[in-house]
Amino acid sequence: MKETTTAVPEPLPTREGLAHEIERAWQRLAAPGTWFRAAERLAIAQEVRNARACALCLRRKSALSPYADSGTHSHAGALPDSLVEIVHRIASDAGRLKQSWVRTMIDGGISEEQYVEATGVIALVAALDGFDRSLGRPQRPWPAPLAGEPSRQRPTGAKPGFAWVATVAPQDIVAGEPNPYAVHGEKNIHRALSLVPQEVFNFFDVDVELYLKDHEIRDFATEYRALSHPQIELLAGRVSALNGCYY
Amino acid sequence: MQHAALLVEFAEALHGTDAGRQLRARQAIAGALGDVALVDAAAIVASFNAVVKIADATGIPLEDYKAAATEDLRRDLALERFNRNAGTG
Repeated sequence: MKETTTAVPEPLPTREGLAHEIERAWQRLAAPGTWFRAAERLAIAQEVRNARACALCLRRKSALSPYADSGTHSHAGALPDSLVEIVHRIASDAGRLKQSWVRTMIDGGISEEQYVEATGVIALVAALDGFDRSLGRPQRPWPAPLAGEPSRQRPTGAKPGFAWVATVAPQDIVAGEPNPYAVHGEKNIHRALSLVPQEVFNFFDVDVELYLKDHEIRDFATEYRALSHPQIELLAGRVSALNGCYY
Repeated sequence: MQHAALLVEFAEALHGTDAGRQLRARQAIAGALGDVALVDAAAIVASFNAVVKIADATGIPLEDYKAAATEDLRRDLALERFNRNAGTG
């Protein structure tokens, strides 16, 4: 029998918490950020999608040396070239990023804070589109951008040295400033985007529904999903291995 | 573990581009574990395809306790050859 669809029958039952956070994440993509306006965030999101069919990204992905090909990306023209390069390379070949490339990008006109916010948007789109793609659903249209200016608040306690970008250690959070560690825990992965705290919330608020909350991960006495802990970790481990994830 | 092969196939099918294989993998999960489990499996795949970009793009280091717990395994497999935080940048 000829297959006429790549999706399983809808509607699929989705946990209330997951459905809620997915909808909130889509709206957050279209809201003014900390360093980018809403339209710029959506332009970054669109480039995450464009990277999947970008000829340069495909050549680099299959190349032994991904930094040897300096061609032109297929993009929508709404972002500066340096930001397009950041988005496409992180979206398409993150496993072979180098610290020297990150410094070159930041020295080339994109601020460190913008780089971190862009990374947050890229990861969020990867999660949201990836969820739909995993279920065989079509890509969603982007929400309309909301009006407003970026808040442009750099955390007072941000310091270089821990990672390739400045981060805020849990003990360096200043009273009155956003503290994502209090909500999501203090693993290094939570610290990665801490130069732009709102991006920690934006990603991990939905990620804890996609995966598990920090305290649920090692709570082997309780099953929080329709998959068991071992089944979740097997699936997560295989995906991570396929991605060459070092973390 | 129950349905381990189905879950691995689900992950591997979604990593590729064969739409027919992906559909069969989804149907296999739904048939064996149910639609709720299919949604949860899709969510796990989405999460781990996304979070790796944060780690890779920021060069965040592995926690000390994780590094210590996996020291033997990483040495046996010579995984430090791939450690991008080791100064080769």
